[in-house]
This record gives sequence, structure tokens and C-alpha cells, in this order.
Amino acid sequence: MTAIPLWVRRPAGERVGWLRTVDHKAIGVLYIGMGVAFFAVGGLEALLLRAQLATPEAGLVDPETFNQAFTVHGVTMILLAVVPLLVGFANYMVPLMIGAPDVAFPRLNALSFWLSLVGGVVLYFSFLAGGAPDTGWFSYAPLSERAFAPGTGVDYYILGLAVNGAGTIIGAINLSVTILLMRCPGMAISRVPLFVWMTLVTSVLILGAYPALTAALVMLLVDRQLSGHFFDPAGGGQAVLWQHLFWFFGHPEVYIMVLPAMGMISEVIPVFSRKPIFGYGFVAGSSVAIAFLSFGVWAHHMFAVGLGDTENAIFSATSMLIAIPTGVKIFNWIATMIGGRLRMTTAMLFAVGFIAMFVIGGLSGVSLAVVPIDLAVTDSYYVVAHLHYVLFGGTMLGIFAGAYYWFPKMTGRLLSERLGRWHFWLTFAGFNLTFLPQHWLGAVGMPRRVFTYAASTGWGPLNLISTIGAAILAIAMVVFFVNLVRSLRSGEIAGDDPWDAFTLEWSTTSPPPPENFATIPAVTGRRPLWDRKHPEARDKS
Amino acid sequence: MRPPADAIGTLALIVGVIASLIFIGVEAALVYAIWRYRASRNLAGQPATFERNRRLEIAWTAAPALILAAVFVLTLGTMAEINGAGVAPAMRIAATGHQWWWEFGYGGTKTANELHVPVNTPIDLDLTSVDVIHSFWVPELGPKMDMLPGTTNHLRVLARRAGSYEGQCAEFCGVEHAWMRIRVVAQSQAEFDSWLAAQAVPAVTQGGDGERVFFLSNICVNCHTVRGTAAAGTAGPDLTHVASRATIGAGVLPNDVARMRAWLADPQRYKPGSLMPRVPLSDADLDALAAYLGALK
Ligand code: HEC
Ligand code: HEM
Ligand SMILES: [Cu+2]
Ligand SMILES: [Cu+2]
Repeated sequence: MTAIPLWVRRPAGERVGWLRTVDHKAIGVLYIGMGVAFFAVGGLEALLLRAQLATPEAGLVDPETFNQAFTVHGVTMILLAVVPLLVGFANYMVPLMIGAPDVAFPRLNALSFWLSLVGGVVLYFSFLAGGAPDTGWFSYAPLSERAFAPGTGVDYYILGLAVNGAGTIIGAINLSVTILLMRCPGMAISRVPLFVWMTLVTSVLILGAYPALTAALVMLLVDRQLSGHFFDPAGGGQAVLWQHLFWFFGHPEVYIMVLPAMGMISEVIPVFSRKPIFGYGFVAGSSVAIAFLSFGVWAHHMFAVGLGDTENAIFSATSMLIAIPTGVKIFNWIATMIGGRLRMTTAMLFAVGFIAMFVIGGLSGVSLAVVPIDLAVTDSYYVVAHLHYVLFGGTMLGIFAGAYYWFPKMTGRLLSERLGRWHFWLTFAGFNLTFLPQHWLGAVGMPRRVFTYAASTGWGPLNLISTIGAAILAIAMVVFFVNLVRSLRSGEIAGDDPWDAFTLEWSTTSPPPPENFATIPAVTGRRPLWDRKHPEARDKS
Repeated sequence: MRPPADAIGTLALIVGVIASLIFIGVEAALVYAIWRYRASRNLAGQPATFERNRRLEIAWTAAPALILAAVFVLTLGTMAEINGAGVAPAMRIAATGHQWWWEFGYGGTKTANELHVPVNTPIDLDLTSVDVIHSFWVPELGPKMDMLPGTTNHLRVLARRAGSYEGQCAEFCGVEHAWMRIRVVAQSQAEFDSWLAAQAVPAVTQGGDGERVFFLSNICVNCHTVRGTAAAGTAGPDLTHVASRATIGAGVLPNDVARMRAWLADPQRYKPGSLMPRVPLSDADLDALAAYLGALK
């Protein structure tokens, strides 16, 4: 057994700890570590919610605790787990994939990470300061105004999200400049790996969306601390204004979370199908269409607010429109597999799982764009099911695919395929058991965000199934953690290119040296490593 | 006019069938690809190298676009229909959300948590809120609609079946959001008319012990109205005919004298966080008070 591999090799003699590092790979690992830790915390919160809901009229937790738990669970999963995980992989991989020695602004990169983390710490500090926010992750006014939320929880929510968001905005600037200016010779923008492209599109989305959130948060802070009236109807303000600002951020945020995961599986599927991606231009172009459209669909979260039929019809139309570029990517991935030679590794299993589950989330999403159906099921468990099919069935499965794919590059060791299979199948079973029944629960009348439900409703059995599913999911996550820890210490040595892959990160050592590449590579196509390995069958593009 | 719930049901059925077909098609293609092109089966064959097909891509973009265009047209039709489609409502009822109970107003006659409507009659609810945002949702009646402070929204309801319907607030509105349940009672026009007439009658002063406790130290009367008496508080539900309702506390307890006594002894035990405080009362006072309220039929 060899020694534990170092994730980041440092130049001899120089000692740079995790706290002071500005190496994009080390910062990527920090981001991923943050994401994993908060994912575990958010998962425990979810288990608490599911335990309380397992039976009707249960008294495991009091209503106040439950309300804090679902609020913090939502914020944690979205802003402190999924986004850092995606940004972490982007941080680590983008410079390697474009043949660059680092990101454009390494110090700024460190600042982004630490701001993101401090934002999370501030949010969690609320537990010690008298109670966490309890108004839901979108914290609608006037419930979030001081009159109805007199504690400090919402203030910590505001500060935490604002600081975390500043980190994310800075990170997006950094990544987009890196992708635009630091590509190696020969790597035209039309040749970047799709994960890089998705990161670029996502960065632009972040720059458009997060400032709206920051503005809304500051206005809410003014309302709460300086007796302002932005969102207070009693003082001449507009409660609905908060919703417009929040969802102007919130909907693009959905794509901020899903596009990079789509980028990940767009790397994984071709490599394990032994074929180039089908319709590169189409996948890349449709993502740009999504980015534009995603700023024009926010009011589909507000169909029941009473904006009027005309507004609702317009936002229904834009929402259906955005389903097209989102949905057809699925055909591209399947067409990539067709005619290939599929190696069903764990990474590939998760990528295929993404497709299989994202279809369900996408179709339920379209049904929610149909205004009358939305009016029936919005704010119910149907939406909880929908959002988890997108965020867990989609994004998280994509992240797992990326993790199994890139772990060897980052650590020099392979994750165990045997545990990986257990991880996949337990996740697949647990996930569907948890969230599939919730479609029915919502359709028959169970609202979201309820700490309990009357026994007379008959919602008990499906809720119990859902909770059992959550327990299986928890076991799956334990298997994953065990796999991570064991493989880190004694996993099979990976070598530079264990998957016989296509892109530049696999042309350097695992883990890569501080400067990434001994010499900056030059490329002539979209699959530089393939070209190098098969000079007789070079890609033409 | 068709009940909005039926119109939505038809649309949901159509969308559901389309979605199911797409779901089956995509999953089948995926499973086929995995099975047909797995490496162990495809050992000898070299992977294909095609990487685009313009026509195919245009086709699979156009097909969903056409399907969605059709769905959108159906959407517009149903949107108009569930709003009443030009049919004037036979009556309007004011529905107001309060942290964690409902107020219903039939002209000057107010009641709480239980909405009575004549069956098979188009009715518009005028929805608003006095505090935070709530959302009126009775699944069997179809769509929900938010209740916003400072604004009035309208919701068309039409109950086709006589009997009771269950629903509850759908917009998170604070600590007791889960126990903000609605009961809708649909009855024949004649039954409805006599119910409404009974609700409109003010209470008569009884002069008993319970009534004395009710007015004691101006506690209950500060928050509750009993029409016909000096009690005119508005922070809590109108109690003029509280005994005629099926539940207490927007659904937390069935309504009978024993449960009423338990609720009065400590509302926070059944609905922690509710805006009705625990008022310390002697056992004798509780008995009398419960009997008094139980008589407010
Ligand atoms: C501070 C205001 C306040 C005071 C004082 C108060 N209540 Fe209430 N009461 C409420 C509120 C608010 C509700 C609605 C509770 C809920 O469902 O969340 C309520 C509910 C009730 C109900 C149930 C009504 C229904 O239809 O479900 C009864 C009965 C009642 N109160 C009786 C009393 C009596 C008797 C007293 C005096 C001992 C009293 N209340 C004192 C505010 C008050
Ligand atoms: C580990 C498995 C998970 C389980 C068992 C789970 C369970 C739950 C439950 C029970 C709720 C509360 C629903 C309600 O009361 O309305 C909820 C809400 C939510 N979850 Fe999860 N969840 C999981 C993973 C995730 C992930 C991975 C994400 C995001 C990437 C996520 C995002 C959300 C969001 C945004 C909400 C809404 C919060 C709110 O209403 O304010 N969850 N989840
Ligand atoms: Cu959205
Ligand atoms: Cu509510």
C-alpha cells in the first residue's frame, strides 16, 4: 500500500496550507469539501422532516422546529451544497480541460470560496443566536417582515445569502474570464469541452440572476431593520414585488444548478460510449437558448398570485418554450450512446440515471407550465416531487457521475466500482421510493411545508413509504462516504488516464502538478487526447 | 358551466397521456441503447463515429414544439373556462385569510372556517388577507388562489356534489400553516338559505355563568364577536354560531362540548403558536364557558 496521495502537490520547500492556498485545484477541493459537508447536514435535516411526516399527527418535533428545518434544508441544499459542489468541480477541472495553468484570478478565487463558506456559517450561526429562519427558502414577504418574523433568523438568512452570493458572483466572473481568455493554443471557443461551455453559460446566468437576489435581500433588510416598506402592503409597499425579484433570481438558479450537471454527463457519456457527443453544436447552442429564456419565465412560480390571465398566459408560453431546448438534449445523449460501445461503469450508471430521472422532472415541469394544472397542484407535494426529480434525480445524479469520473484525476485513485454499484442502486431505489409517491400526495391535496396532516386525510401510507425511501437514500449516502474514505486511502491506483478519455485533464498526472501541465498543450480538435492517441482517426472539427 | 375541477381534470388527463407516452418512449430508447450497445455484446464491432445529423435534430426539436403548441392552445381554453367563461356568479362570498383561520362573509353575516355554498351554483370568492399571504385550496373544487394583504383576488367555485369537501391553506403562512384547514359544505339552495338565515340571527343574551366568564375582564371579548352582545373583537373567529361548526381551531379538534372545554383550557396544547392565548380559568369557569359556547348554535 502506498502512502495517501496528496491532492495538491506543492512546489518543494514551499508550505502553503489549505487556508492560504490560491491553487485552483486546492480551492476546488475546498469547495467540494464544503458541498459534501453541507450535503450531509442538509440530508440530516431532510431525514428529520421525513421522520416527522412518516405518520399523521406525529409529535416528534414541534412545528417551529419543523419550519426551521425545511427552510434551512432548502437553503443548504441549493446554496451551500449543490452550487459549491458544481463550482468546486468547475474550479478544479476547467483550467485543466482548457489547458491553462490556473484560473485568471487565483486570489479572487480564494476570496470567492471563503465568502461562500462564511455565508453558510452565518446562516447556521442563527441556530445559536436564537433560532434559524423559518419562512421557507424563498422567504415570502410579508411573512418575512419583522411584524411576522420578529426573531433574528431572517436577518441571518439575509446576511448569509448576501455574503454567499457575493462569493458566487466573484467566482462566476473569474470562471468566465478564465474560459474566455486562458484557453490553450488551438482551443477555439467552439472546441471547449461541454462541461467548460456549460460552466461559461452558468457563469453568465449567475451574473444576471444573483444581483437581483442581493437587491431583494437588501430591501428586505431595510424593511426589517430600518422600518422600510418595500414589501409591506400596510405601509404602501408591495408584497408581490419580493416574489418578482426572488424568482427573477430563483428560476435562473434552477438552470445554474442543472446546466453544469448536464455538462458533466456530456463528458461522461461520450467517454463511456467511445463516441464523440452527438450534436455538440446543438447541445451548446440550446444551452445558450436556455440561458436567455430562463430570465423570462420567473412568474411561472406565481400563477396563483393573481397576476391576471394575460400575464399567466405569457409566462406559460415562455415556460413551454424553455422546455424545448432543455428536453431535446436528452435525445442528444441517447443518440451519443446509440452505435457506441458502452462501458457501464458507475460514472456511466449515474449519467444514465440522470437522463432517466430528469425526464420525469422535466415532464412534471411542463405540466406545471400548464396554468390550470399548476393552479391545482402548485404549493403542494407535487411540486416537492418535481423539484427533487430535477435537483436530486437530475443535478445530484450528475454530480455523482462527475465524482466517479474525476475522483481518480483528483486523488490518483479509483473509487470502488463494487461500492459504487451499491451506491447507485440504493440511490435509485431510495430516491424513487421517496419522491414518486409525493406526486400523488400533492394531487390529492397535501400542501408542502406542513409539519403534520390530519389522520382523516388518508395521506399516511404514502408518507410512510416516502420516509422509508428517505432512509434507504440515507444508507446509499453512507455507502458513498465509505467509498470515498476507503478509496482515498487504499483505492486502486488510477494512472493518468484510467478511462481512456478524450479531454486534456487526462493528459497530465493524477493528481496534476501545481502548474497543471509541464508544457502548455496545443490542440486541433474537440477531443485532444483522442487525437493524440489516434492520429490516424483525428476529429475533423 | 362545467365545474373548474372537471375542466382541469380533462386537461390534466390529456397532458398526462402525452407525458406518459413521451416518458415511455424516452425510457424505452434509453434502455434499448444500453442493452443493444453494451460493450459485452458489442465486442467485435467498432463504435460508430457519427456525431451529428441536421435533419434528425430539426425533427426532434420541431416535434416537441408542435406538441407544446397544442398543449398551449388547450391551456388558454381551460384558463378562460375555469374563470367562469362569461357566466356571471350567482353570489359572491368574501373569504379572508388570518393567521391560521378563515373568515367568510355573506354580506354582513360573518362566520369562520366552514364555507357553506349552494350546490351546482357558480360562486365567486373574493379573497384577501389581513396579515401574510395565504392560499385558498380545496382540491376537489379545482384551482387554488392566493390571498394577499391589500389586494382582492377572485376564485370561481362550483360544487357539483352535495356534501362536505376538505381543503387547507396552501401558502406557507407561519407556524400553524398545517392546521389552517377549510371545510366546504355544499347544500341544496333551500338548506343553504335556511343555514344562512340562521347564521344571520344575532345571539340572545342568556345571562348565565358562562356568559359572565366570557365577558370577564374583557379577555375573550377583546378578540371575539358574538353578535347581539357587547362582544365585538375581531382578532379571532366570530363566535355567534360557533356551535354550528364541525371543528374547532380550523380543523385541529372536532367540535363538541368536551373538546371545546379542552380547547379553552389550553389552545396552545392543540395548536402551539396559535394566536389564541391560554387564559387561566378555574374548572368551574371552564365548564360554564364551554356550555355557553356549546349553546351558540
Ligand atoms: C388575543 C386574542 C384572543 C383572545 C383573548 C381569545 N381568543 Fe379565542 N381565538 C383567537 C384566535 C386568533 C382564534 C383562532 C385560533 C386558530 O384557529 O388558530 C381563536 C379561536 C377561538 C375558538 C375556536 C373558534 C373556531 O371556530 O374554531 C373559540 C371557541 C374561542 N377562541 C373562544 C375564546 C374564549 C372563550 C376566550 C376567552 C377565554 C378567547 N377565545 C380568548 C383569539 C383570541
Ligand atoms: C437526501 C434526500 C432528500 C430528502 C429526503 C429531502 C426531503 C425534503 C423534504 C421532506 C422537504 C420538505 C417539503 C415541505 O415540507 O414542503 C424538502 C424540501 C426541499 N428540498 Fe429536499 N430532500 C432531499 C434532497 C434535496 C436536494 C438534493 C435538494 C436540492 C438540491 C433539495 C432541495 C429542497 C428544496 C429547495 C426544498 C424546499 C424547501 C422549502 O420549501 O423552502 N432537497 N426536501
Ligand atoms: Cu422556475
Ligand atoms: Cu398557510
